[in-house]
Parts: sequence; C-alpha cells; structure tokens
Amino acid sequence: MEPSSQPQPMMGVGSQPYPAAAPYVPVPGSLAVPPGSQPAAAFPNPTQLSAQHQMVYQQAQQFHQQLQQQQEQQLREFWTTQMDEIKQANDFKIHTLPLARIKKIMKADEDVRMISAEAPVVFAKACEVFILELTLRSWMHTEENKRRTLQKNDIAAAITRTDIYDFLVDIIPRDEMKEEGLGHNPIVGLPPAMGAPADHGSHPYYYVPAQQVQGAGMMYGGQQGHPVTYMWQTPQGQAAEPPEEEQQQSA
Amino acid sequence: MPDSDNDESGGPSNADFSSPREQDRFLPIANVSRIMKKALPANAKISKDGKETVQECVSEFISFITGEASDKCQREKRKTINGDDLLWAMTTLGFEDYVEPLKLYLHKFRELEGDKAAAGSQPPPPPSSTHNGAGVPVGYGMYGAGGGSGMIMMMGQPMYPPAASSGYSQQPPHHQMSMGGKGGAYGHCDGSSSSPSGLRRHDGL
Repeated sequence: MEPSSQPQPMMGVGSQPYPAAAPYVPVPGSLAVPPGSQPAAAFPNPTQLSAQHQMVYQQAQQFHQQLQQQQEQQLREFWTTQMDEIKQANDFKIHTLPLARIKKIMKADEDVRMISAEAPVVFAKACEVFILELTLRSWMHTEENKRRTLQKNDIAAAITRTDIYDFLVDIIPRDEMKEEGLGHNPIVGLPPAMGAPADHGSHPYYYVPAQQVQGAGMMYGGQQGHPVTYMWQTPQGQAAEPPEEEQQQSA
Repeated sequence: MPDSDNDESGGPSNADFSSPREQDRFLPIANVSRIMKKALPANAKISKDGKETVQECVSEFISFITGEASDKCQREKRKTINGDDLLWAMTTLGFEDYVEPLKLYLHKFRELEGDKAAAGSQPPPPPSSTHNGAGVPVGYGMYGAGGGSGMIMMMGQPMYPPAASSGYSQQPPHHQMSMGGKGGAYGHCDGSSSSPSGLRRHDGL
C-alpha cells in the first residue's frame, strides 16, 4: 500500500502542461531506477522505497531552506547598503537618472498638473533603488538556473515571486509566465511556514544541481523529469547566443 | 567614459523604438544598465531584452506611484505633487522599505537646497500672490520654493541661459512659473527633432 500512496502527492504537484511521457535518462548510482507508469513494479521493496523518499525529501527541504536564507540575507544586506549610501550622499547635482525624463514620464498621466522640483529628485533615487532590488531578485533566479546572463524570464520570475511587483504583470508576456509556472517559482517564493506544499513544489528545482537528487527526481516519473530537462536546456541555448556577447561589449 | 557609453548605447536604443516620442517613455537604457550592474557580480551579463524589460518596469513604477500621489493631491485639492506625496504613495502601494531611505534622502536634499537658496538670493524677494498658486499652503510653499530654487541652480547651466537662471533665483515666487515653463518645454519636446538633443544635454550632467 505504501508504494502506491507515496507517488500520488508527487503526481498532483507535478500536474504539468506536458503529457506524461516518461523520458529514459540513464542515472548512475544506487538510485539508478528507470521511471515507469507502475510504481509498485518499479519499487519491489516498500521499506527501501520509503527510506529513499524520506532521504530525498529531507535533502530537498534543507536545500530549499538554505537557499531561502541566503536570499533573505542578500536582501537585508541590500537595504543596509542603500541606507549607508544615502547617509553619505552630499551632492544632489549628480543623478544616476535624468530628471527631465522622469518628469516627462510623470506628466504622461493627464491628471498630473504641477510637479515640485523635489519630486523628480526623489524619484531618481527611488528608481535607482527599484532597479537595484529588481535586478538582485532577478539574479537570484539566474543563479538558480546555473546561468551567468540575466534574461527576461529571470525578471518575469522575480515579478511573479514578489507581491509588490504585481503592477508589473502586464509587462511580462504570457509565455514567460507559463515558463515560470513550469518551475513552480511562485511556490519557491512562499515563506517556509507554507510547509509541505512549498517543499513538494520545489522538488523539480532542487533536484537538478546534485546528481543523486537529479536521479531521484527521475524516479518520481516523467512528468517531473521532463520539465526539469526543458528548463535546463533552454537557458543554455540562450546564453550561447553571440548577439548577447556583442551587446555586452557595446554596453 | 560615461558619455562614450551613452553614445554607443543611444544608437541601438533609438533604432529599437518606432519613433523618438516612444523613446521618451523610458529612461535611457545606458543609465538603467549601469545601475543594474551595481546589483550583480562582476562576471554577470545582462541580455538586451533583460535591460529593455527593466526599462519598461521603471516607467511603470513611476506611473504607478505618480498616479497614486496625484489622486491624493486631487482629494486634498492641491495642484502640486511634492516629495512627501510620493513617499506616502509608496507606503500605500507596498513599498514601505523604500520610504525610510528616501525620507533621509529628501531631508538631506531639502537641507542642501535651503542653504543654497539662502546663499543665492541676496535681494529680499517681494511677496507676490499673483504668481503663487492659489491655495498653496504656506509650509509647502516654503519647501517648494527652496526646491525650485535649487533645481534652477542645478539645471541653470546645462538647460537655461544664465540670465533666465539669475532671474528665477532672484524672485522665489516665480518658481511656480518655472514649473509651468518646464511644462511648456515638455510640449516642445514632443517634436521629434528636439528629443535627441535633450538626451545629449542630460548625458552631459
């Protein structure tokens, strides 16, 4: 009974747009078991299966917690840095963003009549902080995917994960959000208090870095393995494009 | 160096948009890109669509906050959006983390501009109710005047001829008019020919 009940939650979490075709990827090590449609047949030893599940689950949970702590630490350091920089600010003639352009954007709203001189100055700093925070949160997603180039889908992930960025959802194309859905990013962004659902949702993500964990991911069935493979391959292709390097050189 | 970077990135930026007017909807991609790099490791790269997406996000952020601040001013029957209105709007819209650093920033800005205004305006300015906006609170007027004076001194050299700058600084009440003037400048910038030159002037800052 245990073998048949264990995989069901995984299947529920793994409800993906892709069909349930099972990819056969050879996985070395003690976890080298090909995924199949019959869990009972694939795992003849219920006790061993249960132990393996628990081990993988705990590893994924620890990895998720560590990652979240690191990201929260990064954000805390970010805000401390911002406060320190502002305390040292003494020259308001130099702005990182052009005030006249900010004013034009404000004026695009027909309801806006007059703008005090200090408003664009405040926005120049606010926008700088906004860009820094958005970029930092986007980079977290880039790192999770083992890339070094920040892309549009990383920004889409940051927008999806962060509540205060809800006003930006219209800027992300639907396919970007769909791609994020494959990776369960919204669940990753949830606080640890969410418990089991969040941890279940994060499995496809955290199985990729470690070989053993990756193999375990395959054990749970094709639906889990296929999206992970897809997520892993697409960024690689994008990162290899020469135009991006050219763009970097010109920047 | 910054000028060179701006010139190089200006081209692609212009080419990407259908018209110069479209370009005015975003902050310069070179400035945005430079700020993004400050948040990333040295060996990180940013794709072009990543930079353009952040450009769009920043404009949306400005419009989002401005809209909320504008609504507040209308409810309170005030005509001018000031720094405090923006900070209030950020709090209301969930950007509480931004408010504490920006309050400090605004406070320092007002201090600095207050000193400059005091030093700059040697002749005592006559009170002129005609030029001041009707219904503007006295307290706000003081802040606005200080900010306006500082703004003119900051922008005077690159944007306006010295005579105009001197004229404005001598008579603080005209700061309200200076904002109107900038509004006119906005109308002028609608023309396609003036937009690139405006961009260059700001790059010079």
